[in-house]
Amino acid sequence: MTAAARWVGKEVVRKDAYEKARGLTKYASDMFPENLLWVATHRSKYPHARIKRIDVSKALKMPGVVAVFTHRDVPNNRYGVFVKDRPVLCDDRVRYIGDPIALVAAETKEDAESAVEEIEVDYEPLPVVTDPIEAMKDSSYPIHDGGNVSRRTRITFGDVSKGFSQSKAVVENEYRTSTQIHAFLETEAGISYIDEKGRITVVAGGQSPYRDQHEIVSTLNLPPEKVRVIIPQVGGAFGGKDDISVQIHLALVTWKTGRPARLVWDREESFLSGTKRHPSIVKMKTGASADGRLMANDVEIIYDTGAYVALGHAVLDVAIENCNGPYKIPNIDIKAWLVYTNNMVASAFRGFGAPQVIFAMEQQVDQLAKELGMDPVEFRLLNALRRGDVMVFGNRLETSVGIAKCLEAAKNTPLWSRQADFKAVKTYPWIKRGVGVAAAVKGYTIGALPDRGTISVELLLDGGIAVKGSFTEIGQGVVQSVSQIAAELFSVDIDKVEIVFADTDKTPDTSVTSASRQLFLAGNALKEAAKNMIKHVAQFIEKTYNIKVDNLRFENGYVVGRDFKISFSELANAMARSGVEREVSGTYEVPRVQPIPGSLEIPHLFYMFGVSLALVEVNTLTGAVSVPKLVSIADVGKVINPQTLTGQLEGAAAQGIGYALLEDPKIENGILKTTNLSTYLIPSIKDIPEIEVIPVEDAEESGPFGAKGIGEIGIISVAPAIANAIYDAVGVRPKSTPMTPEKIYWLLKNKC
Amino acid sequence: MRLRLSKQFSFVLNGEAVTVTCPPAYTLLEVLRHVLHLTGTKDGCSSGDCGACTVLLDGRPVHSCLTLISQVEGRNVVTVEGIGENVPKCYAEEGAVQCGYCIPGFVVTTAAFLEENPSPTEDEIRDALRGNLCRCTGYVKIVNAVKKAAGGIG
Ligand code: FES
Ligand code: FES
Repeated sequence: MTAAARWVGKEVVRKDAYEKARGLTKYASDMFPENLLWVATHRSKYPHARIKRIDVSKALKMPGVVAVFTHRDVPNNRYGVFVKDRPVLCDDRVRYIGDPIALVAAETKEDAESAVEEIEVDYEPLPVVTDPIEAMKDSSYPIHDGGNVSRRTRITFGDVSKGFSQSKAVVENEYRTSTQIHAFLETEAGISYIDEKGRITVVAGGQSPYRDQHEIVSTLNLPPEKVRVIIPQVGGAFGGKDDISVQIHLALVTWKTGRPARLVWDREESFLSGTKRHPSIVKMKTGASADGRLMANDVEIIYDTGAYVALGHAVLDVAIENCNGPYKIPNIDIKAWLVYTNNMVASAFRGFGAPQVIFAMEQQVDQLAKELGMDPVEFRLLNALRRGDVMVFGNRLETSVGIAKCLEAAKNTPLWSRQADFKAVKTYPWIKRGVGVAAAVKGYTIGALPDRGTISVELLLDGGIAVKGSFTEIGQGVVQSVSQIAAELFSVDIDKVEIVFADTDKTPDTSVTSASRQLFLAGNALKEAAKNMIKHVAQFIEKTYNIKVDNLRFENGYVVGRDFKISFSELANAMARSGVEREVSGTYEVPRVQPIPGSLEIPHLFYMFGVSLALVEVNTLTGAVSVPKLVSIADVGKVINPQTLTGQLEGAAAQGIGYALLEDPKIENGILKTTNLSTYLIPSIKDIPEIEVIPVEDAEESGPFGAKGIGEIGIISVAPAIANAIYDAVGVRPKSTPMTPEKIYWLLKNKC
Repeated sequence: MRLRLSKQFSFVLNGEAVTVTCPPAYTLLEVLRHVLHLTGTKDGCSSGDCGACTVLLDGRPVHSCLTLISQVEGRNVVTVEGIGENVPKCYAEEGAVQCGYCIPGFVVTTAAFLEENPSPTEDEIRDALRGNLCRCTGYVKIVNAVKKAAGGIG
């Protein structure tokens, strides 16, 4: 590494951007292999029913139909990362309205779609359970064997009753948050074919090629070497492509027919059958002493996972871990439940369980500050975790903790320091302005679960390098960040770095692209690969040229020793001539922490922090809330590329605004009524305000060049900052999302 | 069930005459993507809600997912592949491209808009792009890209 960074921290335009903007990039949905079969899915018409009979005979006789598949074609018809509770194709029962029952493969799209309508299923409707509180009762109809509580746990530290007795102010509330739909612009999509080595190859939008491969081989009972998964550029994911969607279905069709296949969900299927953010009920009783110290937090968390667990067990852990905010609290008592209902399936969504509980906690904190007559930022600063502190779970924080820096930055932001000026701006008499703040914490990497990743680097004959890893490009820019880190570590021009990603045939396992872990993992593995490459090259040079080398380093496209210098291309060619391996790998493993009793992955070793400030305008006549300005502050460790970084935080802020105000899925008796983008509204360019991003760099020594994860932190504190701003403006506190005009209108009406 | 009988349709696509054979109920989006495999034009909803499928029909931006192929007979279609390089370049340089799935639609809308209004205000930009949805960017950099393409900055 050269002294002054050439690529890390630089605003370099993303290499993939221009091609995407010209429409030249091929996403999975853009692929049409020769001789393909179009696949369509027959889905459940009931949110909960027993299947008495599936008759595909009519469908099979329809024009163009090549095959129809049901559960009978799936050797092991259950999958799932934590609990194998989800059928590839439903057999005895359907558990939500989009549950897949059969697949039709046909010569044309129209043939497939018409034949799907001809599949006959006899149902015996079962009681529909949609309220998680009802679902938890013993009297409720069990959606799975073993009842509707998929996971329950309780974690206590200290003694909350003692904490409350030492408190001057105690607030107690119940909060609810709604389902949020990812609504990525490219729906779940993929193709499949037999590749030149005879492998069933699935090319589909996803977040983890090796995990998708694992789910395919375990359900279809195939040897892993028979199945290859490739994840090309993905048109948005945000956690919503962390689970299986089209992958097993595609593999099944190609396996059984030998032909290429294409399966792309339409928008309605995506809304019904894609995973969602867990709706939540969170009860919190929180106390603080007269001098403003948080003393106790008594919490009940209920997350509705819908029909299947998906990644719910881990999501619940993140909720437990983050429900105390980025604060020191000596006494906590957290009870948590993950509950089955006949609602749509919930799983990963940016923030992974943290936004729901932070929505609650950050409003608790705001109320406590008010009751104690303290400034909300000062109150948070007083309680903020600092490096070396013992966290609520008894774990000592030995890594970067940037929350105080974020809060200091918030304090110095004009929107906070001169908030009176912002609030004094007069528009109409019925418009009231307010400013709110909220803070957030979230672990990155997979916490106390094993977490490792491998990257390999190949020296190319033209003097470039190829960096290979199974990370996926879901829009976040990891390919660009990895390129910049590679260019820095190998001291080559960024144009000399080629990235090969997300192909189980060509790239080593860097594990999942989620939990904001990939930049950190891939970057660190790349560092190891660079070290190993130095060793490998040194050996080669010693052997080939018979000279002793030490202090080898990469410098501007050359390998430089004490008294010699050889260009990358010369070296690569020499190695090729001698038949020496030009590819070297490096592995990084996150140091293991012991999970605390009652948890799967708590605590994390590494945390990211953030603060949002929101300025709102509340229309007191209609209840409508708008956000003229939002400030997003995040502790990112070290900025690798300012442009992709601000892009991530701006996008997260926009999704947070949607979650807070706009995104309102109407679900009646398990049936989603808002199945398109004109009824489920995501923010348009008219809904998004001026967003100011302030990165705070509290370097993480274990991170690549000091960098931390960044993908999720930006969304977590947005909704509570808006809620707190609404209170500041009009003195009512909406305790549920979305904070729609109706809700605010009635709160205002009932107040006077 | 849709009409299966195929018919021939001719139109001009990015400056070249093309003839396709397909059912008359096909939309222009289906013809572009499924028949011609010209995939720069994206399908985000097939229902006129997202703008990812925007193309120019006789110079005016339309949702190709709501335009039947029969309406296109004899007319002039320009897709993102036929748009000049300035607008896409500005989107790339301003960091407005993340997953990029929505961007071709934005590029086409922007190109048509700047043709009509070469030096727009920010409000005019936001009005022009209100029918295009992006889930990744928060739109900040998209506005900057349009300003840059208009010669406003950079
Ligand atoms: S695909 Fe046409 S508007 Fe969405
Ligand atoms: S860049 Fe992903 S939807 Fe716009």
